[in-house]
Amino acid sequence: MTALAPRASTRLRALLARGEPLVAPGCYNALTARLLERAGFEALYMTGYGTSLGLLGMPDAGLATATEMHLNARYIANAVAAPLIADADNGYGNAINALRTVREYAQTGVAGIHLEDQVVPKRCGHVAGREVVPIAEAVGKIRAADSARCAVDPDFVLIARTDARGAHGGSLDEAIRRANAYLDAGADMAFVEGPTSVDELRRIRREVKGPILYNQTGVSPRLGLPELRDLGVAVVILPGLALRATIKAVYDLAVALRTEGPLAEQAFDQGFRGHPLANVHAFAGFDQVREWERDFLPPEALDKYEGTVGYRPTAASPSADQKDDAR
Amino acid sequence: MRPTTRLRQLLAAPGIVVAPGAYDGFSARLVEAAGYQACYMTGAGTAASHLGQPDLGLATLTEMADHARHLAAAISLPLIADADTGYGNALNVVRTVREYERAGVAGLHLEDQVAPKKCGHIAGKQVIPAKEFAEKVRAASEHRTDDDFVIIARTDARAVTGLDDAIERGNRYAEAGADLIFVEAPQSLEEIERVTREVKAPLLANMVAGGRTPAVTVKELDRLGFKLVIFPGVCMAAAIPAIEAALERLRTAGTDWPVGPGGGPVLGPMDIFKKVGYDWWHAIEQRYTEAP
Repeated sequence: MTALAPRASTRLRALLARGEPLVAPGCYNALTARLLERAGFEALYMTGYGTSLGLLGMPDAGLATATEMHLNARYIANAVAAPLIADADNGYGNAINALRTVREYAQTGVAGIHLEDQVVPKRCGHVAGREVVPIAEAVGKIRAADSARCAVDPDFVLIARTDARGAHGGSLDEAIRRANAYLDAGADMAFVEGPTSVDELRRIRREVKGPILYNQTGVSPRLGLPELRDLGVAVVILPGLALRATIKAVYDLAVALRTEGPLAEQAFDQGFRGHPLANVHAFAGFDQVREWERDFLPPEALDKYEGTVGYRPTAASPSADQKDDAR
Repeated sequence: MRPTTRLRQLLAAPGIVVAPGAYDGFSARLVEAAGYQACYMTGAGTAASHLGQPDLGLATLTEMADHARHLAAAISLPLIADADTGYGNALNVVRTVREYERAGVAGLHLEDQVAPKKCGHIAGKQVIPAKEFAEKVRAASEHRTDDDFVIIARTDARAVTGLDDAIERGNRYAEAGADLIFVEAPQSLEEIERVTREVKAPLLANMVAGGRTPAVTVKELDRLGFKLVIFPGVCMAAAIPAIEAALERLRTAGTDWPVGPGGGPVLGPMDIFKKVGYDWWHAIEQRYTEAP
């Protein structure tokens, strides 16, 4: 009997324990999560910006509800094996709501979340006009989140984000002060949103007394792995990766279709030929379904494939019987 | 007829409209079966029955709108639903109105509490500035896609800044586009009378047994000029002791069949199904299923 796979939270902790910067590119739905996992990433990030835009078609302005966010996280977490870190915004209210938010997210199978100190409703961390709640209130929310996490899954990773660097009346000093207060309140990792230079990032690394998550997007500098390693970053997220790639690719193809007519899709298909994922049906998992049909349905149930037209899934792995025969 | 139009007609007719509070599809069915003209979805009851949690602003817009959708689909009465604070600022209010409209709700009420809100009849409430809430009301009234959708503005100011401010807020919210005004938790009959005299808009009365407002009958509220009265807790307050008593009987008797004195008649599965529309579905089944 094989041992049950450890929880995603436990696996994320193991990845973090390696002491190397963990690169978690951003997905916004189950498909993009599977693409990032197929490309070889060991951890993924669910963007709130992308969830709001991808699920609702709305900007990241505090319009997505807690229910919508953790439902999206659940779909993603169930589609991949890589541990998922999810955006949980400001916990959708006060400390009481933050407590419920942690419980709901922990039940989805995500490995960890980040909670931020913005007012309700929040806005994207790289869009102007942000405001933060008083530090004591934010500390209370982190304490509530920590208690919920300890009760449901002590390995669940709690990342405290502060928006004080770029908020109304904020500063880097204030952001560092807050990051340390949130770590003292029980957060595992600090996420200072929006440093605008490597020097600022260096200061954050020096003065924040705990592991740091770096959000490599928007107004913040772009760094390679060696620099991130030198800086001692624990996790680097690239939230817009899948979202921006999708936006550009889909829009460009749609414009071509609009201007050149229906055969533009054929031209796209020609370019897709030979691509590792060109067999979309296989990527989607039809072969796996064929395997399950072979292993778990009565043989006559497979007669439906005879004489029908379309993609013929093939069971990739041998059946239990075939394995026995080989032995 | 759309439920919104039906609710408008009821409100335009003389006399008070009574909307007992349902907390789920089952209780909404019972409200309709009892012959009421409108039904109210309680937020406190939604938090309690749907989530098993107190009314502390824990229910999300998604959960509330989903719940309202189920209730609205179960009955043909117009449903007035609690929409708390609108779940954020004016942007969130616009989204709330759209979600509730699509849920098949006939009208909603929005309140001027700080988000996350608290039950109107417990301590510790806070209100946002009247100007800010008036903008939320304006956003709601300007962004309904169905002109008949009823927007009710509730003020919780009585317990925070006093009755004078609550009345001033009521009038301000009416000017901002609210169809009805809901002054939450006046604390005496004199206060209720002042509200009816001084708020220049159609009024909603909220009657909560055990709450801060004294008991006033429907007849009396009608005489005072209220247009709509909701009884949010009526079903849930009846259900809780009945369920507790049934569970206790089960413990002592070891069976849920009624036995001994006071056992009463059996409410079998079909009796229950008939309360939630079995006959209607059965008629459809008969009509569209081939005879053997």
